[in-house]
Amino acid sequence: MYRTEDVLTTLGMVRQHKLDVRTVTMGVDLQSCASPDVATLCDRIRTRLLHYAGRLREVCQEVQGRYGIPIVNRRIAVSPIAGVAAGHDTEGLIAVARTLDATAAEVGVDLVGGFTAQVQKGWTEAEKRLIEALPLVLSTTQRVCSSVNVGTTAAGINMDAIALLGHVLKDTAERTRSHDGFGCAKLVIFGNAPTDNPFMAGAFHGAGEPDCVINIGVSGPGVVKAAVEDLVANAQTRPTLGEIAEEIKSTAFRVTRVGELIGREVAARLGVAFGIVDLSLAPTPEVGDSVGEILQVMGVKRLGAPGSTAALALLNDAVKKGGSFASSSVGGLSGAFVAVSEDAALADAVACGDLTLAKLEAMTAVCSVGLDMIAVPGDTDAETLAALIADEVAIGVINHKTTAVRIIPVPGKGAGDRAVFGGLFGEMDILPIHAAGGSGDFVRHGGRIPAPLSSLRN
Amino acid sequence: MHTYIVTVTAADRVGIVHSVTGSISEQGGNIIELSQTVLRGYFTIILAVAFPEAIDPRGLRDVIVARGERFDLKVAVLPDEGHHIDPVPGGDRFILTVLGQDSPGNIYRIAGKLADRGVNIVDLHARSDGPNFRLIMEAFLPPHLKPAELRADLEQFGAELGMEVYVQHEDIFLATNEPRPVRVGSSRNPEGSDVVVPH
Repeated sequence: MYRTEDVLTTLGMVRQHKLDVRTVTMGVDLQSCASPDVATLCDRIRTRLLHYAGRLREVCQEVQGRYGIPIVNRRIAVSPIAGVAAGHDTEGLIAVARTLDATAAEVGVDLVGGFTAQVQKGWTEAEKRLIEALPLVLSTTQRVCSSVNVGTTAAGINMDAIALLGHVLKDTAERTRSHDGFGCAKLVIFGNAPTDNPFMAGAFHGAGEPDCVINIGVSGPGVVKAAVEDLVANAQTRPTLGEIAEEIKSTAFRVTRVGELIGREVAARLGVAFGIVDLSLAPTPEVGDSVGEILQVMGVKRLGAPGSTAALALLNDAVKKGGSFASSSVGGLSGAFVAVSEDAALADAVACGDLTLAKLEAMTAVCSVGLDMIAVPGDTDAETLAALIADEVAIGVINHKTTAVRIIPVPGKGAGDRAVFGGLFGEMDILPIHAAGGSGDFVRHGGRIPAPLSSLRN
Repeated sequence: MHTYIVTVTAADRVGIVHSVTGSISEQGGNIIELSQTVLRGYFTIILAVAFPEAIDPRGLRDVIVARGERFDLKVAVLPDEGHHIDPVPGGDRFILTVLGQDSPGNIYRIAGKLADRGVNIVDLHARSDGPNFRLIMEAFLPPHLKPAELRADLEQFGAELGMEVYVQHEDIFLATNEPRPVRVGSSRNPEGSDVVVPH
């Protein structure tokens, strides 16, 4: 007989604390689909996605029924399209994007990632063309998500690409003006992008992966928050931060194990490989499912106050430690997402002025993601957006870690106005950018910021 | 080899297990399975005991009672007629948890619902703590019964009784509470016989 406490603890994670499997993401290699004829290329892409993902919805429902753990999202990540569709013009790229969009709908997934280019050291003509096509793609498709890797620790930072992406963000926002520039929420700009990331919008099927793979993204902010809250409330004496870290670690273990179990079963039923569990704590706009609230129960009541960065570092590290003991198949981003509009507590902290862009940037130095889902004034110039991207990518490149930027310049709105993206994407007050316009000449130099020295690390 | 099922109940006291197992040992029996629990101060033990030759069950009972006289044991001894064979071959083990308001007949109603569906309860612990009722059971679902169907059925049934009912595969509890590697398929069917691989 199982210990009653164990049964109730596990049950409580699902019942009260919103444990779910956030995403089952099927990665599909599309490189064999390449063809000089656009119609053939699109037809091959559709056929290959139907072959692998045709039963994805059905199998996820079966597994969800078997285990009683909700699988919230089903998604597909494909090989970087800049490679698959190399040689095609803008119209060809748009046709591929529409094929991905329609096929994703056909197999019942909500997002398809991989309209991607990796240009950290330089770009091919195809990659540049893909980036230039992004405003049209992101504004005219429903499900297609994009990512561009603009820097790595080994290659440095491609400032030409970053400068172009500043304009891409402006154009994409303008084309989706009626939805507060929502198109930009489907574009992630990476430094040191992981090749097995199942989390949208930055997911793509990276080099070194098999034909088809199932990756899992677990959720769990609510579970971790509840565990820390119980520890703090029920301890005889105030728990130390070391004890809080232990509690988070053991909770991360449980959460990761659920993800691995579900992932392995989905993969087995589909007859494809199991890839990784991404340990990231991904918030939702729902109260109780927030990374910010975890920091608050740890004692940082005002998010953005001194101590926020240290608390986030503790959380991030403990999650990684618990998860890495739970599974040998851990990858992706694996950390705490501080996606501002998607996290009710973080969005509230922005609204009351406690959490600034500068503090968020500092916090991203210790978490896995970066400046994520941040609305900025619509009149921000493209060079300022590019400089913001460069700063964040530099943090990752210098520190040998992944960082990313997902910012939305909201057309027609300024600092303090409300940007509303809806659903899981949430809403937030628009953050001002300090000294905007002050770095245009820096960005316009272009070229590449050299790769950092790997010895003499301080 | 001849096997007998022995059950003993008494008010809980130190030394009962020693007394009962001593009686069996003296008679030449070998204990092949044993389960013991104490509930509200009452001791209960059930044993499967093997003997090389057939014995008189009443004789064994009398020996156990006599040796444990100071414990006032209530003893029954039955020949084992092979009922240990799995009644639900191929089924998966699920954990059913029921939480809610206590009311007379709760367990009776839930057990009836499970019996109607062919669900075999193999372990069950229930407790009323004031107005609160808590039940945790391990049960085997027959292969034809979809867990999601049973879950939906019991959730609705529980809601009518003012209780929350949860049906979860035991692998969830194994994965979250034990450090051993995660395996697909039930722990009872480690090869994952219910996993259909289409390619």
